[in-house]
Amino acid sequence: MITRARQWALAILLLLAAMCAPAVSAARDYLQLFVTEPYLELHTGPGRGYPVFHVVPREDSVDVLFRRTDWFKVRTARGVEGWASQADMLKTVLADGSPFRFPLGDRAGFTNHTWEMGIFAGELGSATLVSGYAALSFNSQLQIEGSVGNFLGTFTNGVTGDIGLAHIILPEARLSPFLMLGVGLIHTEPKATLVQPANRTEQTAYVGGGLRYYLTRRFFLRAEYKAHWIFTRRNENEESDEWKLGFAFFY
Amino acid sequence: METGLRVLLLTALLATLPGCAWMHHRSSPPPPSTQSVPAQSADEAPPRVVEPEVARREVKVPKIRSSNVEVGLYYGELSIEDFGGHPVYGVTAAYHITEDFFFQAEAGRSKAGRTSFEVLGGNVQLLTESERRFTYYDLSLGYNFLPGEAFLGRGVAMTSAFYLIGGFGGTDFAGDTKFTVNFGAGYRIVPIDWMAVHITVQDRVFQSSLLGTTKLTNNLEARLGVTVFF
Repeated sequence: MITRARQWALAILLLLAAMCAPAVSAARDYLQLFVTEPYLELHTGPGRGYPVFHVVPREDSVDVLFRRTDWFKVRTARGVEGWASQADMLKTVLADGSPFRFPLGDRAGFTNHTWEMGIFAGELGSATLVSGYAALSFNSQLQIEGSVGNFLGTFTNGVTGDIGLAHIILPEARLSPFLMLGVGLIHTEPKATLVQPANRTEQTAYVGGGLRYYLTRRFFLRAEYKAHWIFTRRNENEESDEWKLGFAFFY
Repeated sequence: METGLRVLLLTALLATLPGCAWMHHRSSPPPPSTQSVPAQSADEAPPRVVEPEVARREVKVPKIRSSNVEVGLYYGELSIEDFGGHPVYGVTAAYHITEDFFFQAEAGRSKAGRTSFEVLGGNVQLLTESERRFTYYDLSLGYNFLPGEAFLGRGVAMTSAFYLIGGFGGTDFAGDTKFTVNFGAGYRIVPIDWMAVHITVQDRVFQSSLLGTTKLTNNLEARLGVTVFF
């Protein structure tokens, strides 16, 4: 009986230790920033409407715990935790006196960013297309992007996936055109009522172009056209047009 | 005799030549020497009043963790038009772009029941068991319409938001995948920074000609979800 109780106690202790482990490892190095303005306002939540419940006076420091959208969760030397806005954090300095700088979600970020993602609705051939994409930028003009799509038509359904390069012609302009080139795969499932019911997967290549238009913050609109060549096993290759419009964001 | 005198004079002249060279060396201004100048100025510099002791702090900037991704599970009830209400479960992933907007992708599954036609018709089977599986996905944009705070007693305050959501995707049902538009609203409460609880109601609309006529079907979904922020 005692052995059993001891086993239970041990199990609970181990469980507690496992639960505490992230907390211990969480005692990591946080960035320490110093307030140079008369004070730094701390809000109760990560949003403009949340009330200010605490102020950090000039010369005092805060530890930056993490960032969510345009808000920073910080902890003062006295242990008070609250949310500071991006605009206020720009006015703080590092321990060596240099200003604290970080990527902002603004027009400059639209020109120069690392990642972007977006969703589209459109048409592939005569089918309705739902698709999403992600892109990694090498510089402001060249990026590698991959997209996946699901097309839903009257006679066929299927999925597409492609990867390619995009060249942005005027990255600093609000309305910037771009060109695309890449390869992909298309999986087609003809609907069972038709004569040719076999599913097939074929290779594709595409060339295309589009426009991106900066809206606000981290958002932009993206409209594009891709001309696909589908390399079939039959005597002639197929061509298919893809038109789509969607929202995207960068970070 | 004459030769001996000449040798003597020449010797004397030779002896004086290095001396002249030495004299010349003395009289010419000293060439600028990089070594001698600081030594001289160090001797002549006035004593310092304040010794500058500026210790340069080497600041290593730790990477700030971003916590914009929200991943979770949900469970609820989906009312499939003509086929009755059944449990639905799924996964959701969201990316918070600004304090107002977020992108969300979700995928869920349910199973349709029997239509009233099947119930009344006795042994009639409109769909096979596998065709009754209702699977959907969608890509949506959400807007935090009414952000706020919820209070639990005096001591606990949690951030919350009422949000609107809309998007598009596909629904695989009755042997076909249909383009589906989804829209709805939800309430999110964040009890701790890394976790959120959602109550969401959405309508999934797609065209169906399963029961003879082609019509838009509305499939209402109510669910409870738990998500974790990364």
